[in-house]
Amino acid sequence: MQTQKPYEELITQIGELTAQLTEAQDTINAIRSGEVDAFIVKNGNGHELYTLKSADQTYRIFIEKMMEGAVTVSRDGTILYSNTRFADMLDLPLASVLGCTFDSFIPAEYKPYITELINNKAWAEECKAEITLPGKSAIPTPVLLSMNTLEIDGGLALSIIVTDLSFQKEAQEQLRQKNYELEQAHLVTKDLNDQLEKTVKERTNELYKSREHFNFLADNIPAIVWTALPSGEVDYFNRRWFEFTGSNSTALSDEFRHHIHPEEQKEYFLLWDKSIASNSRFEMVHRIRKNNDDEYAWHYTQALPFKDHNNETVAWFGISTDIDEQKRALEKKDEFISIASHELKTPVTSIKGYVQLLRYNFQQEGNTEAAGLLTKADIQINKLTNLITDLLDVRKIENGQLRYHEEKFDFNELVKEIIEETERITRHPIECELAETRCISGDRNKIGQVITNFIDNAAKYSPAQAAIKVKTASGPERVRLSVQDFGLGIPKDQQSKIFERFFRVNGEKENTYSGLGLGLYISSEIIKRHGGSIGVESEHGKGAVFNFELPIL
Amino acid sequence: MKKIFIADDDPDILEILSLMLKMAGYETRPTINANDIFDFSNGLPDLILLDIWMSGIDGREICKQLKANERTKDIPVVFLSANSRINEITEEYHARDYIAKPFEMEHLLKKVKQILAETAAHT
Repeated sequence: MQTQKPYEELITQIGELTAQLTEAQDTINAIRSGEVDAFIVKNGNGHELYTLKSADQTYRIFIEKMMEGAVTVSRDGTILYSNTRFADMLDLPLASVLGCTFDSFIPAEYKPYITELINNKAWAEECKAEITLPGKSAIPTPVLLSMNTLEIDGGLALSIIVTDLSFQKEAQEQLRQKNYELEQAHLVTKDLNDQLEKTVKERTNELYKSREHFNFLADNIPAIVWTALPSGEVDYFNRRWFEFTGSNSTALSDEFRHHIHPEEQKEYFLLWDKSIASNSRFEMVHRIRKNNDDEYAWHYTQALPFKDHNNETVAWFGISTDIDEQKRALEKKDEFISIASHELKTPVTSIKGYVQLLRYNFQQEGNTEAAGLLTKADIQINKLTNLITDLLDVRKIENGQLRYHEEKFDFNELVKEIIEETERITRHPIECELAETRCISGDRNKIGQVITNFIDNAAKYSPAQAAIKVKTASGPERVRLSVQDFGLGIPKDQQSKIFERFFRVNGEKENTYSGLGLGLYISSEIIKRHGGSIGVESEHGKGAVFNFELPIL
Repeated sequence: MKKIFIADDDPDILEILSLMLKMAGYETRPTINANDIFDFSNGLPDLILLDIWMSGIDGREICKQLKANERTKDIPVVFLSANSRINEITEEYHARDYIAKPFEMEHLLKKVKQILAETAAHT
């Protein structure tokens, strides 16, 4: 009989049922207390309750505490188990998750795909999907879903591991950002590098061009060009040097010694050494030997130190210009002027002589009127003589050829002599105030020329009959001469220019006053050459005081 | 009467110098050919006025010869010239003095008088 079971069998069944009941009771208690998770599996035999009580405690804790969400889903998609982490990810209490379908938590855009996986595909093979959950505090959380079937207590469930990708994504984003920055930095570096390369290329090119340019210029310039080390040793000559001198020597530092005229060598190297020592411009006119024979040509050599930003000389640049033709032409011109001056003075000498003889005769006869007229003629002759002398002197000053004949003489004696000479030819009374006399050393004629020039000028710019005052003064080291007039004076702005060549004081109209504007220039050159000083003090309208001072020895 | 020899290649200047010196009471012998200076048949001069730059003849050379000759070396020579270097030349050739052309009559006479007086005092 089917229903009449043996007693033992019943006892066994009661035991089993009691055990099942105890387990069920335990499960319910555990679920109630929240200690233990449980799930119900619905199979062909109706609902089956699965608990994890039998699972290893370590794994349970592990699953609860892991960073990933862990979910078990039944065949129809109901969540049988979820760890707290998954509920956290959804920002829901665990109780609201359990028993719901998994796809109810999936945002609409992923739903069709995920539902398909949960219902079908994932039961056949392991599946993975990346989706974004609304996340905690509505911050979208990217997650990876890993689905796999799981056999639990003889039933089949789907386990879904939900991995929060936020950190990974953030890291990825950071990495991407870093990569981007790196790329940008790389681009900037590359740009800089390109620029640098370009600059180097350009500079190299420029340098090359500049060197080519220098060589081209240096070799084609119609002059000798050379450079020297800061020590003064010549280290470069352009092509013209070798063409001109015919030299093929490689010992460049000795070249000047071999080719500069022996008469100028000593001075040349003296000046050169001086320039090197003082780092200042070198300048000299000297001869250079041509084609290694005895022919020389005059050159004008100049050299300048090339200084760095510390004002240290790094090189010398020199240029020697052939001035032979000009120099010879100048010599011819000077010779011409010298002859012309002599030729002009000869007839003037005769005229002056005859005029003086005639005047003497008229004076002897008592014809003062005729004698007076001849005095006027004599004054004009003197002016002409002075003009001739001035023109010649200017040429000589310009060429540095004005020679000085030094002698010792009594200064007051010279002043008296000049006053005596000029008194004869001027209508202005000369008042003289001489200090204790001193002997000075210098060119007596030329210093006399300066005094004459001062007195002539004073007379020229003074109103008729106005006196001219001549004074001398002497100190222990210097003598001083001053000539004062009471003419129209010199405006302040013209006072500094008055000793310049060709300068003339302008009156109301131009050419108010005669003269070439050379006298004071020549005077100034003469006084300077004697180591003296020359000057003027004047107030416009109140006359002027011209003075010079000369050293006694 | 003091005797003065004058050498200049310009006849006008020669005439002028001669007239001026004569008026001052000197005996003069003007010569246009400088070499005639060396004619001492009528005795030695007390002073010689010598132009430096004469056509064909150099006054400096004449001065040198005069100074080289024992008989004439003490005769004072006064150079005459329009050359601006006359003072240097005077010193270089041991001439007594110089007169620059163009010259002032007074200056000429004063200088001549002074030199003659000095020479007289010396001898």
